[in-house]
Amino acid sequence: MSAAWAMVRHRFASFAGTFVAVVLGVAVLAGSASLYLSSQPQAPARYDAAPILIQPAMAGTNDYGEEERPAWPASEATGLANRLATLPGVAAAVPDPVFYVQRLSGGKATGDPEAARADGHAWSSARLGGYRLTAGRAPESRDEVALSGADPGTRIEVLTASGPETWTVSGTVDGPGFYLADSEALRRAPGVPVIGLTVSGDEARVADAARALIGPAGTVRTGAERDLLEANHVTRIRWIGAQLLIALVTLSAFATVFVVSSTCALSAAQRRRELGLLRAVGATPGQVRRQMYAETTLIALLGGLVGAPLGAAAAPLLAGPMVDTGLEPAGFTVTWQPAAVFGAALLGVLVALCGVAVAARRASRVPPLDALREAAVDPRAMTRSRWVLGVLGAVAGAGLLAAMPSLPVSAQSSAGLGAAMLLITAATLLSPVLIVPLVRVVAWPVRHTATGQLVREGTLTGVRRVAATAAPVLATVGITVLLTGTIATIEEAAGIDAAAEFSTGSLLVPDGTPGLSAAAVAAQPGESRLETRVLITHQDGITGFEAAGVAGSGSGAVLRDDTATELGARAGSTLTVRWADGTTSETRVRAVDPDAQATVVFPAELVRAHDPQALTAMVLLDGEPTAAPGARAMPVGDFVREEIGEEGQLVDLFLWALIGLTAGYTGIAVGNTLLMATAARRSEFRALRLAGAGTGQVLRVVSAESLLAVAVGAVLGGTVAGISLLGVRASVESELDHSIALVIPWGAGLAVTAGCVAVAVVAAAVPVLRRR
Amino acid sequence: MTNRATAAVELQAVTRRYGTGESAVTALDRVDARFEPGSFTAVMGPSGSGKSTLLHCAAGLDRADAGRVVIDGVPLDGLSERNLTRLRRTRVGFVFQSFNLIPALTAAQNVALPLRLAGRRPAAGEVSSVLAEVGLGDRAGHRPSELSGGQQQRVAIARALVTRPAVLFADEPTGALDATSGKEVLRLLRTAVDRHGQTIVMVTHDPLAAAHADRVLFLADGRVVDELTGPVDAELVAVHTARLEAARTVGA
Ligand SMILES: Nc1ncnc2c1ncn2[C@@H]1O[C@H](COP(=O)(O)OP(=O)(O)OP(=O)(O)O)[C@@H](O)[C@H]1O
Ligand SMILES: [Mg+2]
Repeated sequence: MSAAWAMVRHRFASFAGTFVAVVLGVAVLAGSASLYLSSQPQAPARYDAAPILIQPAMAGTNDYGEEERPAWPASEATGLANRLATLPGVAAAVPDPVFYVQRLSGGKATGDPEAARADGHAWSSARLGGYRLTAGRAPESRDEVALSGADPGTRIEVLTASGPETWTVSGTVDGPGFYLADSEALRRAPGVPVIGLTVSGDEARVADAARALIGPAGTVRTGAERDLLEANHVTRIRWIGAQLLIALVTLSAFATVFVVSSTCALSAAQRRRELGLLRAVGATPGQVRRQMYAETTLIALLGGLVGAPLGAAAAPLLAGPMVDTGLEPAGFTVTWQPAAVFGAALLGVLVALCGVAVAARRASRVPPLDALREAAVDPRAMTRSRWVLGVLGAVAGAGLLAAMPSLPVSAQSSAGLGAAMLLITAATLLSPVLIVPLVRVVAWPVRHTATGQLVREGTLTGVRRVAATAAPVLATVGITVLLTGTIATIEEAAGIDAAAEFSTGSLLVPDGTPGLSAAAVAAQPGESRLETRVLITHQDGITGFEAAGVAGSGSGAVLRDDTATELGARAGSTLTVRWADGTTSETRVRAVDPDAQATVVFPAELVRAHDPQALTAMVLLDGEPTAAPGARAMPVGDFVREEIGEEGQLVDLFLWALIGLTAGYTGIAVGNTLLMATAARRSEFRALRLAGAGTGQVLRVVSAESLLAVAVGAVLGGTVAGISLLGVRASVESELDHSIALVIPWGAGLAVTAGCVAVAVVAAAVPVLRRR
Repeated sequence: MTNRATAAVELQAVTRRYGTGESAVTALDRVDARFEPGSFTAVMGPSGSGKSTLLHCAAGLDRADAGRVVIDGVPLDGLSERNLTRLRRTRVGFVFQSFNLIPALTAAQNVALPLRLAGRRPAAGEVSSVLAEVGLGDRAGHRPSELSGGQQQRVAIARALVTRPAVLFADEPTGALDATSGKEVLRLLRTAVDRHGQTIVMVTHDPLAAAHADRVLFLADGRVVDELTGPVDAELVAVHTARLEAARTVGA
């Protein structure tokens, strides 16, 4: 290890690339993992004073494998709560019915629409959060409300599932939420999803007693299990954030291996003579290999030592922006995550060792006599393993691309990214083969000038160096063009496709609300869908479905064909349906229709009766719309554009985070490669100067060579991406059954290439100028 | 074929060819040679005659295509790369014309390298006494870039001697040095033979350098063509060399 340390200290320049790559990799990993681990499910704050929470029993799962826990009907919940309250040690047992309320301000709905779905509560449940009245009294009559931020006696405008309402403030509360009289809240909510217990005695004993009392009718949650009650929309936000973090970490690990391996390969090639000497003096091949591993371990540890605290320090700074962009729920804070920090440093070492593996194996094969070779001759650029791995990567990537249309939609994006990485790796491995003809073509116009000749010959004899410079450019340009092109192509296609789905010219859609209220829908001419969740029993168990209530659709249920298959039902069968309010009823299947508007369609009145909280997603207008709070009318085209734009914003955020990271690594790789390569060619440049070239001319040669290498990388990367894009288009076309246009993001590709050019020229010029 | 005490190095019909087909070069052509313990042999011959190749094959840095090399009683054929390296580490020292030292390591670290590679921690004073022997006791902490060419060569000799090898090979060790430094290096080699009974095989072009040896082998076109034994003097060597050159020119 001491020899490794001496080596590292002496030739830090040739380890700089590995060091910087590991610093960046470990920082990204430590930061992302800190964010990821800090983002844990958390029971809603309104249960802070209730150490024991009870949920209804699990009835089945939905298509995503999530548990379905149908709410207790109000009467059942009240009965259970009364019995729970008699247990010793229970201070209070409170059913928590929830319903949708949003405050209106000047006819506009305010606040987070998704959170508003659970903002209405019964007054009793305020004590589950430890909330108290600071003024006035508890709500008693039907239109009285207690809330924070309003004085008793004030009248407030709100929007609920039924429509706009005016309530009188009876009291001011020191916590969030709208609290109505218990009976009123139970009437509005479709059922009771939670009963909370506040306790005066021993928590564990009370929980045991509650379990015994409830039996199979419910699940008692205490301690960390309470956090399973996190609201769905919060879980969803955290999930999106986690996707970005996972993508960043994956890409960063990939890029670190990439940069470390290319840096180590170059440095091993440059140190060939020294390695030969080591062998001559008595180092076994194993010792040479271990020496390389030891050096890399040292560098990676140093990199981790810098990178891990950097990442941990950056993570809290990112919490705010992540909340703002909808990647973490409001109130998200980053906590100290030792596992993330130390794990990242450790993983940095592992990743670096993966990167050095190939170079170390090659280095151990250097014969002792290489110590006598004056100039390091460029060793054969293409090895057998390069051929084998390159061809395998190309085949696997192409195969994955070809298989994309048949993969589930959720797996398509990762399959696309995986295919891109495989193809790019393959192109990188095979690039030495392609560089020679490509350089001949690119350098054709300048073949008669002195600079042109020097550049051409220098490039053709230094294929490895060119490949090492071109590889990261290839990867970045490839990833950029492929990702932006894929998304632009899919967005374009999706826009055309989505607009074609609507039969009308304009729509009434929610405006700052989670859905349209009954009043808003009632005032409109046109067709609409009331959205609710139901649980349907079939031979294999119970499954949850997103069902729709459609007005004037006749009695009984209409099943979409895939739902019918899943349930094993056909026209005339009887379905056992469990509704949002906890009641169960039998419904006859009227028809099976492949074009049904939802998986299951019921008459609107039936849905409304069982789910007073059901909201309408949109109305397909067939007349002049009437203005209503929380709703706005717009042409279909605008709506589709807006929807795609909103989704696109998130996608763009992901995209630019990934491209930015890739470009950062490219900068490191290109800069380091050229710094090392140019520094190692000083004697060559000295000879050039002796032959009468001025510094300006040497600089011109060096810059032109690096430009040529970047150009080769960009052309190869663009080509690989172009081929992959054709695959993506084929996949989308087979999905949509019509041909679509291929959108090629010239701008993004050129911007990234320009960045590479800037880094390359500077990195190549610095060693030349420093030696003046 | 009497007195078969173990030779330090023995070559039996060693052949080494480079390249294949038309462009094949036979650098060594069935060479037999024996180097007794405690002897100092100079190898001479025109450029391209196979001197370096002979040394590389004898030192186990390169493998012969045919024939046998035995170092200190151990035949090299059939040794794995690892075992060959180990043998080289303990029984063979090597000094090249230049680039003998790892630039990152100090003189003392360079000298200790073969010991460390053998997994041995140098005993107290072991390295410094060897460095003192070559007159560099005060330069132990210097890196190669801070030493003159002659000093670097002396560090290389110290490193080659530190393991007390069965044989030390030197390929034009004075080739890149001025006359004074060259003489100093040669005196060091002679001292190692006289004082420690070190076996040395040295390639040189310089009759004055060869005069330090006990025996001179002359190579031409990959064969041993002449040999001088007993106290060698530079004039005699020069005469032999000239005669060989003349024979070659006539033969060609
Ligand atoms: N790696 C190699 N590949 C091909 N031919 C080689 C190689 N090394 C040496 N040769 C050839 O083998 C022959 C002997 O070379 P060698 O280096 O042993 O000569 P030498 O006597 O040491 O010459 P010099 O005095 O110039 O150092 C020469 O013809 C040389 O061209
Ligand atoms: Mg030679």
